[in-house]
Amino acid sequence: MEEVLKSRSGDAVKKQKVKNIIIMLLPIAALVVLFAVYVAIILANDYNLAINLETIVNQAIVLVLVATGAIFIFTLGSFDISLGASTLFSATVGILVFNATGSLLLLFLTCIAVAVACSLLNSVLSSVFHLPMFVMTVAMLSVLTSIAGTIITTNSTSAGANPAISVSDSVLRDILGSVDTVWFKVLILALFAVVCIFVFNFTKVGRRQKFLGGNPVCAKMTGIPLSVYGIIAFVMAGIGVGLGAAVNVTYTMSVSTGTASDIGMSVFIAIVFGGMPISGGARSRIYAAIVGGFSYIILNNILNLLLSSVDGRYGYVQIISAVLFLAIVYVASINYRVKHLPR
Amino acid sequence: MGNLINKHQLKNFGVRTAGTLAVPALFVVVIFIICAAQGVMVLTSSSLFADFVCYAAIVTLTTFALSINLGSGRFDFSLGSMATLSAVASAQLTYSMLGGGAGSGIVMLVFSVLIGAVAGAFSGGLYVILRIPPIITSLGVALIFEGITFVLTNGTYIMSEVQNDSMTLFRTQWYLPAVIILVALAAVYFLFDRTKFGYDYKALKEGQKVSINTGIREVPNAVWCYVICGALMGTVGFLQAARNTYISTNVLNFGSISVMFTAFLPMFIGGFIGRFSNDKVGYLLAGLSMSLLNSLFAQLSLIGIIDSSSRAIVEAVLLVLFLIFLNNEQTCRDLVTGRIFKKWAEAARERKAAKHSREDK
Amino acid sequence: MKHLGKKLVACACALALTGSMAALAACGGNGENDEVRIGVLVSDVSGEEAVSFRNYYTQYIAEQYNVTFTYTEQLNDSASEIAAIEQFAGQNYDAIISLSANDRASQAEACEEAGMYYAIASGMDDTIYETYKNNEYFVGQIGPSMSTEYEAGLAMGEYYADKIEDSVAIYGAFIPNPMHVYRMAGLLTGLGATYGGATGEAIVGAIFADSGVTASKISLEGKTVSYLAGFGDSTMTEMGTIIATDPDALLSVGMATTFFSAMLNEAGIPYADIDSFTTSNAANMQSGTLEYLAGKYTSSIGPIFAAVYNAVQGNKIENADGSAISISQDYWVATSYEQFEVFQTSDSVTDPIYNKELLDTVIGEDVTYEAFEAFVTTDRTPQA
Repeated sequence: MEEVLKSRSGDAVKKQKVKNIIIMLLPIAALVVLFAVYVAIILANDYNLAINLETIVNQAIVLVLVATGAIFIFTLGSFDISLGASTLFSATVGILVFNATGSLLLLFLTCIAVAVACSLLNSVLSSVFHLPMFVMTVAMLSVLTSIAGTIITTNSTSAGANPAISVSDSVLRDILGSVDTVWFKVLILALFAVVCIFVFNFTKVGRRQKFLGGNPVCAKMTGIPLSVYGIIAFVMAGIGVGLGAAVNVTYTMSVSTGTASDIGMSVFIAIVFGGMPISGGARSRIYAAIVGGFSYIILNNILNLLLSSVDGRYGYVQIISAVLFLAIVYVASINYRVKHLPR
Repeated sequence: MGNLINKHQLKNFGVRTAGTLAVPALFVVVIFIICAAQGVMVLTSSSLFADFVCYAAIVTLTTFALSINLGSGRFDFSLGSMATLSAVASAQLTYSMLGGGAGSGIVMLVFSVLIGAVAGAFSGGLYVILRIPPIITSLGVALIFEGITFVLTNGTYIMSEVQNDSMTLFRTQWYLPAVIILVALAAVYFLFDRTKFGYDYKALKEGQKVSINTGIREVPNAVWCYVICGALMGTVGFLQAARNTYISTNVLNFGSISVMFTAFLPMFIGGFIGRFSNDKVGYLLAGLSMSLLNSLFAQLSLIGIIDSSSRAIVEAVLLVLFLIFLNNEQTCRDLVTGRIFKKWAEAARERKAAKHSREDK
Repeated sequence: MKHLGKKLVACACALALTGSMAALAACGGNGENDEVRIGVLVSDVSGEEAVSFRNYYTQYIAEQYNVTFTYTEQLNDSASEIAAIEQFAGQNYDAIISLSANDRASQAEACEEAGMYYAIASGMDDTIYETYKNNEYFVGQIGPSMSTEYEAGLAMGEYYADKIEDSVAIYGAFIPNPMHVYRMAGLLTGLGATYGGATGEAIVGAIFADSGVTASKISLEGKTVSYLAGFGDSTMTEMGTIIATDPDALLSVGMATTFFSAMLNEAGIPYADIDSFTTSNAANMQSGTLEYLAGKYTSSIGPIFAAVYNAVQGNKIENADGSAISISQDYWVATSYEQFEVFQTSDSVTDPIYNKELLDTVIGEDVTYEAFEAFVTTDRTPQA
């Protein structure tokens, strides 16, 4: 009898494990399917595959960099709505420094330093004055957008409709152009991802952050200081934002008030698309941002291709994309249903 | 004894009144001082007063809507998209029926409320069916509503549909938005403070699991909350259309989300006032204060002292300062009374004593 | 296991759906071989002018020529412009026509890199034109130049110089957008005003230096000037304040007919704007108080299409020095409804001024720059 019970419970554990693996692989499988469909459409229409793949990388890279850093914040069960504004602000300062010095290194360092400073300001103010993080970041969103807007308007070199600071010197444009390649962007992403994975999976930081996100009361009682790990999370997010801002400058060679305006919200979509719960905790994974970010961008591109001749297609693309997003999140969260409504 | 009770009641009444009116009074005083210093005046004509009431209605109703779900821990990013979608759909529907003729305003208002309520029901329904965190559901819903708005209009401005004499009344006659505020206030007060639905809402807000275990049905309560939010945001969409005389419909890629951010400061102010009276009254007073601030910004903008960027910074700083106050009230009080210096001195003495005792040992 | 089954069914459905969509797209193919495909970059999809431009291309030109126009969504920054160009390039488009001006330099470079022809259907900054005029894929620019924008503002100012008795309100739209800055400089000059002591075209530099207009710097002898710009939460309150002062007129360098026409019509305050000859502006002029409108007309973007079409067909029209074309177009000005009506009826999507017959005169292998320039600069203003 005991053996039967043991074997039954062993079967259940095995089944649960298989289920968990499937759930874990679902976002990756979705990315693979989306990618296959995208490539199929490109080839079937005799479009240029190389250019289209480059387009995907160019469109996704800033989002993925920012979202990868933001995983640390989301793991704690917190979130930062000012990531887009922070990207804009650090890119603004970065391009001013680059225009003045012509140094790529300084561009990257400035963007990272400014973004980390903004991120830390959020964290420190929130922790010193006991402010709710979400509202703090809402305030920061306004402040950073406005300051960046003022700087851009004051220093605008744009002949266009919106004020913008551009890199107009041809030598400097060549410098930026030299690193505006897919390989450089992929390298930056790979390096950052490796650092994040190391910190997240091979040091106590990740484990403790997951603990704090999953059960903050218990984690606190075991002596894990939320403020310390909160600061680390915001620093990592700041690095992601800084890298995203610098890469954006190398790509567009200008910064306008509209730069990165939808990044803040798209980060949520990317992370959830990648299979990570918004509440953070034990199921947090660094790769969620990469998988989710690319899935989201590829999905939008597929829909744009399929609906290219439909009137009002951008509306339809957004509706279908949102429905698929909700469907995927629903399927991915089937195993984690609770009796009461989630909050 | 009777005198004592009366004195106590009187004191209590005084504290409650002072607490309720403190923040709005502070706004009035500061705005008056700035006006005097800059040589400008606010609310100098009946049309400006009507604009003031209309904007107060927009802020107050958005704050009601934001606070309903946020108070229960449900982030709702779809509020702005609900307002835009209801305004666009109701404007098109009303125009197709009345062609901008008599009664267009009131008919559009009714449609806006109804379409907003349906949008809210969709949002709430999706939340309770999918059972995924509301922040995620609301992101998806916001994208869907923005997409539908774009499909309905192809992104073009809605102008002639909302430019008629009937709509103009809601912008130029102060009593119409005032009536809307009062009706919304009465409805929200009645629903949340005087019905079983409201009691259940409060119970669920304070203790979700316990409430469910006592038999409170969470699902219908949550859906009704979304329906009410939708109806409120539908009204906001209508008022914005009336005030701006056009509707900008190109709100793809989360272009509608910023609407909810404007309601954070009044929500916290209203919550603070609510401690002394009622939170709904607090939201109304906060809405009026914010509208007065908007009138001041307009005058300062005209004389070139402030622009939209500096306005956003001022509002964000006000939000942070108010939150610092709310979350550090005792410290602030000690700072004002000077008690904090005594506390610091005491703490320093204790540290010194502890050090000496360690050294002695 | 039940849930797993559900998931598998969901995945299978998703795969089937996407697979069939892919097949559908593949069936659609890449269009006919000789079809010209043009991507259009837009930063405004909402205004009536943008809609009429779009209808002219997609409903008239596409019908008359074997051309497909694909419009972007509203482009808000340089990144979205470059991404759109890359997407068009990836789908083998032949050319890009730009009505979006976030970053023209990056647009030109992205098109050159992709090997797609690039043209601008509006005004362009001289410095950027000089930088890219010898770019192999840059077709050129046709639209009001910055000096034309200045002249448009100047004409409006001169028209009102004697009409303003006590006070005037000025709407600066989205200054420091250069187009609006040049119009504002012209307007102030036409009115006889100075800006911080600067006069004439020097006002342009003064406004750029301030990154906007400072109301107190505007000086118009013996008259009160109110100024507002942009659009935000307090703009309607600002306009209400201005209306309460009952100015003699409101003069705008753009967008006033969209934002304020209802308020100004109600208040009976005359106003002037630089916009386009749209249905709502006709109503504003007929039954409202709009009394001066300088505007573009629907088919004014016809010549740039002809230039692009020629380039794609292997006949890129170039200046005498071999560089890309740059030709300015003037605005039409209506000061009465009758005049407005003539403009409106003379140019529509179904019966445009730049119709196929006229465009065909500059489409072909033998078209020279001189002939093309004459074609564009010929005054086609309809006469009552």
